[in-house]
Amino acid sequence: MIPVNVITGFLGSGKTTLLREVLRKPEFSDTAVIVNEFGEVGLDHILLEEVEEGVLLLESGCICCTIRSDLRDTIRDLQARAASGAIPKFSRLVVETTGLADPAPIASTLAADPIIRNHFRIGNIICTLDGMAGRVTLANHPEAEKQLAIADRILITKADIADRAEIEHLRIQARSINPVAQLSLSDGQGFNAGLLIEEDLNDPKTRAQEIQRWFKPDHDHHDHHDHSHHGHHNHSHDKVDGLNSFVVDYDTPIDWTVFGVWLTALLHSHGDRILRVKGILNVQESETPVVLHGVQHVMHPPLHLDKWPGEDRGSHVIFITRGISEQAIRHSLEVFLSAAARATGEIGQVQAVV
Amino acid sequence: MCGLCGLLGLTHWTETHAHKDAFTGAGQRTLRAERAHRTRIVNTILQPVRAKVSDFQATSYLLSTPTGKTAVVDDIQAVWGAFEQVMGRNLDPLDPTYLSQLERSVQ
Repeated sequence: MIPVNVITGFLGSGKTTLLREVLRKPEFSDTAVIVNEFGEVGLDHILLEEVEEGVLLLESGCICCTIRSDLRDTIRDLQARAASGAIPKFSRLVVETTGLADPAPIASTLAADPIIRNHFRIGNIICTLDGMAGRVTLANHPEAEKQLAIADRILITKADIADRAEIEHLRIQARSINPVAQLSLSDGQGFNAGLLIEEDLNDPKTRAQEIQRWFKPDHDHHDHHDHSHHGHHNHSHDKVDGLNSFVVDYDTPIDWTVFGVWLTALLHSHGDRILRVKGILNVQESETPVVLHGVQHVMHPPLHLDKWPGEDRGSHVIFITRGISEQAIRHSLEVFLSAAARATGEIGQVQAVV
Repeated sequence: MCGLCGLLGLTHWTETHAHKDAFTGAGQRTLRAERAHRTRIVNTILQPVRAKVSDFQATSYLLSTPTGKTAVVDDIQAVWGAFEQVMGRNLDPLDPTYLSQLERSVQ
């Protein structure tokens, strides 16, 4: 399965600079790139020649509107050409969105198309955030807020020229919008490409580490103070219409089937307002944990871990929502779990499968 | 879903089991028993709105309403859309009225 990384971020926030720097590294030499347009920074001429066969330019405007046809056809075309030998085989695909695009439909395109989903899988979604103009952008453009909320990695750019206090404000704001993404700073060069792009949940070598990062973001980065360093970020950032992020915890094992029924019903009704779900579950059916993650309506196939990543045996599910409160989610799940337990008479009698 | 999509293996994640070795003979629940369990849980959830599902040939689910309308769906995810279509309304798991009806229905 070829990983697909999405680079998103508002206009002028440094997406192309990031892409350019990453593609210079030898380990990314067999990366195919889909760009929506050549921006001001531009991928320079030498680089274009190097990846010439892999670079495709979407011709018809914005990715968010043309996702169903353009992106799907482009990815299928790339795959077919690589399979037939018309272009060299590639081991990674990077999609750079426009500054105004919503990255969520890219995840749904990958999951919905039967051919694509058998050859590609979604990798990290990286969001660049302008270290100088970021706060103004976030205040005025809900698209930028959503890009941030959906990301797995947040890169605050222009850290070398932006005011230190401004960067600190931005870190706190980004952290309150998305407490689970790994956040790092950039001065335009020397990116940690491994952390940003390669290390994701689907890589068995880094999976446990990635899950621990959800609950302790930034633990190995930077010397700046961050308010969410300590253990679980159980605090909720409730806003009436804005973005909320919170963790729903359960100490006792939960019924996987009930959880699945509940989550599908929830995403059917409110998927457009549930931007991200990520979690580790202690399920009645298994002694080892199940990991789930999704973007809006799209849940990725759950992953089974061979062992617990730490001492904690509880279930922890992180939600990033728009206008849905922690209390509403928690109450709904509790009612579903207790109703199902009563109806099936399995309270305290559930046995593990093995 | 067309036959071709089925061949390409579009299995919804709710059709998987929480145990990685389930259905390999090592588990206590068979595939059929797991579907029966799933059906019972969905029926509990649908009880307040008076609809129900039944397993159809271990490949699909049949959703039926009190007025006799039916729909065949491939997986649990599709139940909610089919419910909306045949009943003309949504089942909202965050709706406090629905949740209190659900609580009452199992007492």
